[in-house]
Amino acid sequence: MLPAPYADPVDQVAARDRITDLVCDLPEASPEQLSFEHPWEIRAFAMAVSAHRELGFDWTAFQQALITSISGWEERTGTSDRGWSYYEHWLAALESVLADLGLLSTDELGRQTRDVLAVPANRNHHEAHTEPIAVDPARRTHH
Amino acid sequence: MSSTVRTPEEIAARVKALESMLIESGVMTTQAIDRMVEIYENEVGPQLGAQVVVRAWTDPAFKARLVADASEACKELGISGLQGEDMVVVENTEAVHNVIVCTLCSCYPWPVLGLPPNWYKDPQYRAAITREPRKVLRESFGFTVPDDVEVRVWDSSSEMRYWVLPQRPAGTEGWSDEQLLALVTRDAMIGVGPVGAVA
Repeated sequence: MLPAPYADPVDQVAARDRITDLVCDLPEASPEQLSFEHPWEIRAFAMAVSAHRELGFDWTAFQQALITSISGWEERTGTSDRGWSYYEHWLAALESVLADLGLLSTDELGRQTRDVLAVPANRNHHEAHTEPIAVDPARRTHH
Repeated sequence: MSSTVRTPEEIAARVKALESMLIESGVMTTQAIDRMVEIYENEVGPQLGAQVVVRAWTDPAFKARLVADASEACKELGISGLQGEDMVVVENTEAVHNVIVCTLCSCYPWPVLGLPPNWYKDPQYRAAITREPRKVLRESFGFTVPDDVEVRVWDSSSEMRYWVLPQRPAGTEGWSDEQLLALVTRDAMIGVGPVGAVA
């Protein structure tokens, strides 16, 4: 028997409300418009919220790191929004907070990132399977 | 703070590497991250798949193109991307119900379904759905496929990613696209759940 695939919907609403409270004080983010264009963005988002919950660091530290990353980018690029990625700053802020806590070496992260890039996705699974791998046939019910 | 411009592949790899490092060092668990993602996952994927399904329900010519070449048909709706290159849609009928799995890893049609749920990656699901699909659907997902319907299980790989086109429920004639969209769940497109109930 597999574990229940879903959390209790009531818990989910409560969890979401707590996240909304966290997010509404962040620069450039409004909780109604939390949107994700790529799978990595939601992963980065979830990691920061989980890290805050697990480690209990002050959320304002994350907020401040996010402001720093965004303003640094604005200084570098002027007013143009070319290359803007909110979650890239989010990731940079998370890295910075974790590094300040002594929990992350960004050099090591750079090395591991290169390792990930060097391994093609699903390297063992390149064959197309064109037929069903299992069939549970229809049965006539007898009375 | 880094000032280098990164490609989408680079940044996705960096997020993946960071997650592995944090899990290895015990800072957080993959379950904690997955729970958080679950709260938002409907905002990153399945709604796109639902749009494709509704279009197929309401436009027979589109449905024919979708079944013939899902990746091309999805491009018509502006949906494409990483892990969506070789998608195949398997259509549920009165006689056949389809379910998807990736027996070796977690190949999954991201552009239409978003992130795979945690259980999809679970070795237990991958093994059990292949061995006893009907029973797993009933016992783990509370979803009973009638005995007179054949269950087919499709193994996605990186070369061919399957997803399920559910049947349009009876009693939805004349419904708006918005009403229909609300019926199409992620689980229905994986094949482990029904479409929403018609009130």
